[in-house]
Amino acid sequence: MVTNMKPTIVELVHGVDGLVTLPAVFIRINQLIENPDSTVDDIAKAVNLDPSFTVRLLRVANSSFYGFVSSIDTVSKAVSVIGTSQIRNLALSTAIASTFAGLPNTLVSMENFWRHSIYCALAARKLAKLAGKCDPDALFTAGLLHDIGELIIFNRLPVEAKEALLLVLDSADEVAIYQAEQQVIGFDHAQVGGELARQWKLPAMLEECIAYHHDIQSSKRYSRETALVHIANILALMAEVQTLELSDVAPIDPVAWEITGLSDANVIDVTVQETQAEFAEAEKLFLGKGQ
Amino acid sequence: MALTPPSRIPLPLPGFENIKRGWHTSYEAIAARLLPGEYFVTQNDEAIYTTLGSCISACIRDRVSGIGGMNHFMLPVSASSSSWKAADNSASTRYGNYAMEHLINDILKNGGKRQNLEAKIFGGGRIIANMTDVGMRNIAFARDYLETEGLKITSEDVGDEFPRLVVYFPVSGKVRVKRLRSLHANTIVEMETKYLSTIGEKPVSGDIELF
Repeated sequence: MVTNMKPTIVELVHGVDGLVTLPAVFIRINQLIENPDSTVDDIAKAVNLDPSFTVRLLRVANSSFYGFVSSIDTVSKAVSVIGTSQIRNLALSTAIASTFAGLPNTLVSMENFWRHSIYCALAARKLAKLAGKCDPDALFTAGLLHDIGELIIFNRLPVEAKEALLLVLDSADEVAIYQAEQQVIGFDHAQVGGELARQWKLPAMLEECIAYHHDIQSSKRYSRETALVHIANILALMAEVQTLELSDVAPIDPVAWEITGLSDANVIDVTVQETQAEFAEAEKLFLGKGQ
Repeated sequence: MALTPPSRIPLPLPGFENIKRGWHTSYEAIAARLLPGEYFVTQNDEAIYTTLGSCISACIRDRVSGIGGMNHFMLPVSASSSSWKAADNSASTRYGNYAMEHLINDILKNGGKRQNLEAKIFGGGRIIANMTDVGMRNIAFARDYLETEGLKITSEDVGDEFPRLVVYFPVSGKVRVKRLRSLHANTIVEMETKYLSTIGEKPVSGDIELF
C-alpha cells in the first residue's frame, strides 16, 4: 500500500504551533485595536507591560523612519503620533525575528533570510508611497513577513526543501524557488505563510500579501497591496545582488504594474537605490543589530 | 519553464559521457551542468553552466576554431601549505593544477591550438561571513596558473560576496554571469564542502601528459 506521507499545508502550520507563537504584547494590542471602545491610554498601558517592546517602539518612533522634530519620550505620545494601527504593525515587525528564532534550519542563515525580508519591507513601503491609496507602514510589515512560510518549510521539511533548492540551481535559476517547491512538495512557501497568517488571525491584508505574492491574480480584496509586495520582492532581489538590470532577477508580473498604476521606467532605480541606502538602519531597528 | 528535450543531443567528446546535459529553453541551446570537481570540453555550439561559491571556474577556448570548455575546482585547505603558486605542486595546489591541465589538454587534444587560447575566470566568492577567504586563494591560483602558461585572461568576475551562476558558450566565447541571492549560499557551500572532502580522501594520480 502506498501512503502519502506529505503533510497538508494546514497540518504543516499546525506542527509549528508552540514552537513559534505570537508575542503576548501583539495579541493584546491587536484585541485593543479591534475594540472600538479602547483608548490611547489602554493601548499605551498594554505596550508598557512589555519593556523590550517599549524600548524598540520608542527607538523606531525617534528614528529617521518617522522624522518627527520633537523627541518622543513616552509610549502614550508614541501611540498618539504614530497611530494605533501602526503600533500593531510595529509590534508584529519588531517581534517577528525573535519569534522565528525558535524555528531554526540549516538551509538558510537567519541573517540572510531577514536581509531579503528587510529589503522587501523597505521597497514595499517606498512603492506604497509612490503608488498612493494604501498604507506604507502596513506594506512595510507585509514585505517583512512575505516569505515567513519559507522558515516553516525549511524547518519542517528540510529534505524536500533542499531538493527544491537544488532543482533551482540545476535549472540554471530558470525555475523559481516557489515553482520548485510546488513540484517537490505540492505547495509553496507563499501558501504556507498565508495559512500561518490565517491561523494567527493577522489582518486580512497581510494574509493576502503573504499568500499571493507569487500569484497576484488570486488576491481578492487587497490586489493593490499584493501587487506592491510582488514588485517589492523582485526589487529586493535587485538591491541584494546590487543590480539595476531587471534581466538579472526573476520576472515581475506585468499585471502588477497595471494594478498599481506604477511604471517600471520610473520607479525601479530610485526604489532599489533608496532601499539599499536605508538598509543598515532598518536592520538595526528591526533585528536589534548593533545595540 | 520545464526543459524540453531536443530530438537528439549530439554525442559529447569521449570521456565526458557522465556530464549531465539537457535542453535549456532560455538559452536555446543544449547545456552541460558542471558540478564541483568536474570539467567539460566541447566543439558543439552548446552551453556549459555551473554554480560557484568560493570555488573557481576557468573558461578556456580556441577563439579561432571555437572548441573550448570549463572546469570547476578549489584548492583544498592544507595544513602543510598555504601556497597558491601553481609551480609548487604542493598538496594544496595539486588539485588546481590537475583541473587546469585536464581542461587545457583536452582542448588541445581535440584540435585546439595553444596560440589561439583565451581564458576567463569566475567565482572565488566569500559567501559566508566570518569564513576564511578561501575564494581569494582560488582566484590567486587561477591567475598565477594562466600567467605561467602564457594564457591571457580576457574577462573575469571574481571575489565579492555573491554566489554565482556562470553560463559559458565556448563557440562564441560569450559568458553570462548571474549573481545568485543568498538563499542559495548554504546549498552551494554544502556542495563545495562535499567535493572538498572527496578530494581530501583520494590522491591525484601523479602523471599528466602535457601537450
